[in-house]
Amino acid sequence: MKPYILIIEDDPQIRRFLRATLTAEGYLYYEAVTAADGLNQVDARRPDLILLDLGLPDRDGLEVIRRVRESSQMPIVVLSARGEEKDKIAALDLGADDYVAKPFGVGELLARIRAALRRSSAVTADGTVLHFGRIEIDLEKRVVKVAGEEVHLTPNEYRLLQVFLRYPGKVLTQRQLLNEVWGPNHLDQAQYLRVYIAQLRRKLEADPARPKHLQTEPGIGYRLVID
Amino acid sequence: MTRRSASDFGLTLALIGTCTLVALSLRPYVTATNLVMVYLLGVVALASRLSRQVAVIASFLSVAAFDFFCVPPYLTFRVHDYEYLLTFAAMLAVALVISTQTARIREQAATAARGESRSQTLYHLSRRLAGQDRAFDMARIAAEYAAEVFQGCVVIFLPEEGKISFAQRSSDHLPISRGEEPVAQWVFDHGEKAGRGTDRQGDSAALYLPLIGAREKVGVLAFVGDDEAYAGDQTNLLELYAHQTATAIESAHSQYAAEAARIQMQTEQMRSSLLSAVSHDLRTPLASITGAASTLRSQGEKLLPETRQELLESIAEEAERLGRLVSNLLDMTRLESGVELRRDLYPLEEIVGAALQRMERQLAHRPVITRLPEHLPLISVDDVLFGQLLVNLLENATKYSPEGTPIEIEASSDGDAVTMDVLDRGPGFAALDEQRIFEKFYRGRSDGARGAGLGLAICRAIVQAHRGTIEAFNRTGGGAVFRVRLPLESGR
Repeated sequence: MKPYILIIEDDPQIRRFLRATLTAEGYLYYEAVTAADGLNQVDARRPDLILLDLGLPDRDGLEVIRRVRESSQMPIVVLSARGEEKDKIAALDLGADDYVAKPFGVGELLARIRAALRRSSAVTADGTVLHFGRIEIDLEKRVVKVAGEEVHLTPNEYRLLQVFLRYPGKVLTQRQLLNEVWGPNHLDQAQYLRVYIAQLRRKLEADPARPKHLQTEPGIGYRLVID
Repeated sequence: MTRRSASDFGLTLALIGTCTLVALSLRPYVTATNLVMVYLLGVVALASRLSRQVAVIASFLSVAAFDFFCVPPYLTFRVHDYEYLLTFAAMLAVALVISTQTARIREQAATAARGESRSQTLYHLSRRLAGQDRAFDMARIAAEYAAEVFQGCVVIFLPEEGKISFAQRSSDHLPISRGEEPVAQWVFDHGEKAGRGTDRQGDSAALYLPLIGAREKVGVLAFVGDDEAYAGDQTNLLELYAHQTATAIESAHSQYAAEAARIQMQTEQMRSSLLSAVSHDLRTPLASITGAASTLRSQGEKLLPETRQELLESIAEEAERLGRLVSNLLDMTRLESGVELRRDLYPLEEIVGAALQRMERQLAHRPVITRLPEHLPLISVDDVLFGQLLVNLLENATKYSPEGTPIEIEASSDGDAVTMDVLDRGPGFAALDEQRIFEKFYRGRSDGARGAGLGLAICRAIVQAHRGTIEAFNRTGGGAVFRVRLPLESGR
């Protein structure tokens, strides 16, 4: 079945090119121009994914995320202008799955949509062995191998890696990572997080200065890329 | 009678008495007419020391004393020989002429001396003011020197938008009550003196003189001193002094105005050249996009598939270029308006990694070598801005060095600062280019390379916002080095 995508965007030109590219890729779509209309359609049509512009005429796009997350975990990909890191972080912290900064190319947009749809359908089964790049992770035995060699991870490093593995391809804000690994009392200790990420990169990446998997989203957070 | 003239009179009596004693002792041997000389000598001596009035009195007294003591019959003013009347007349005339002339010469000398000290004062004033170019400094120096010369307190007030305020003054100390502000304002408005020693507001604590230059009124000078200082002579000099000070301040004003006008003009010029550069850089990609898009729309079917593909490529590329330019302009504006940094501690490695990731496509066709020591200290930066700096440096390197040549990123720390180098194997810099490349809209060797000349200006702005330094120089063996030095612990 073809996935349904709800476009909530007020700019007609952007809607036009989104329509064209989504149709070409075989997606179905609905359109909404305002936040209110968008929320109605979310309830009425239960789309598989929402493409959401943050600058809507009637209400803040962040409000839409908050309302959707009250009842549903459907993937939300945010369209935002460049340089507004604060808005992106707010959207992600509220539960948006990903963002694409305007102006964006179609390739980038489709990759984000695919990753978000995949996450929502694929439930990571415990007890399996994950492979990506040179890395192999046995989730049951908690063994990590790089190029066939076992690598020792400290408990915190492993927990951090686990969080990433739960949301492959998704941008995780510093806040979300700190909360998941160290708990809500350590949300202001971003330095720790950076040091742990650096250590994980040294252990997992071929060149920690050019990471293939543990990528940085400057000003926002990190993303585990596994394809 | 003042004390001064009393003592003068006493001196006169004493001298004439002395002359009489000398005359009495000579009287037996010398004819009376020759004794006249003794008295004339006395009159000359007095005239050379004392005022003309005293000298005239001395002349009469000496004639009287001569008559009384030296002309028979002695000890009476009566005279037997009427020939002596001629002697008296001649003696008086000679004494008066000598005394007045001597006194006049002396007064002239004194006037000359005063004149000299006056011109000395004004000369010193102009010497002191010569080195200054700010009106306020001039006022301060003039007031300080005036206090020395005139033995009193001098304060100069400079107006602000035509209003004299005692708060806006040349010295910290204010010897006058603020209640006299209106007097100073009146003096400034009317350009006439007032206050102590004048007919207007004579009960004021200070004498207020307007500072009037050749064209405009520039302020008010207030003087507080002893009673004697308000004598006509001193006030005259003070007025001259005020005028000279005013002229100097006025010239400082006009210099300032000229300078302001020059800066204004330069700013205008810069703005217009900036505008023309920006509009050119914005229009060129727009023209390509419009041209390619309209060709595709009107002649789409008639074009060869390869041509259509080329036109599409060019639309995409030019749009991207336009996008880069717009974000550069926005960055520059943001940085120039004083952006607030969101600094935190980051491993340099992470920032380098993110920048290389953003530049992945442009760097696809060349080796990138990173040499980052494992134990480099964390740096305190705004990660987004510092990442942008690195992206701009990498972009610059890809633009100016041939494809296939390596780009290297190197870092080290000496404990005080972290140094990061971005190195390429391009042509390096032409002479002196390395100093100008960080200027806005300056393009280095522009053969083929296209850009607005903003990338490196943004780099400099970002580094400066972090209180670091950036420099560029030629690399040994060919190529360019961009070196960023970031002091550790800065901004924390």
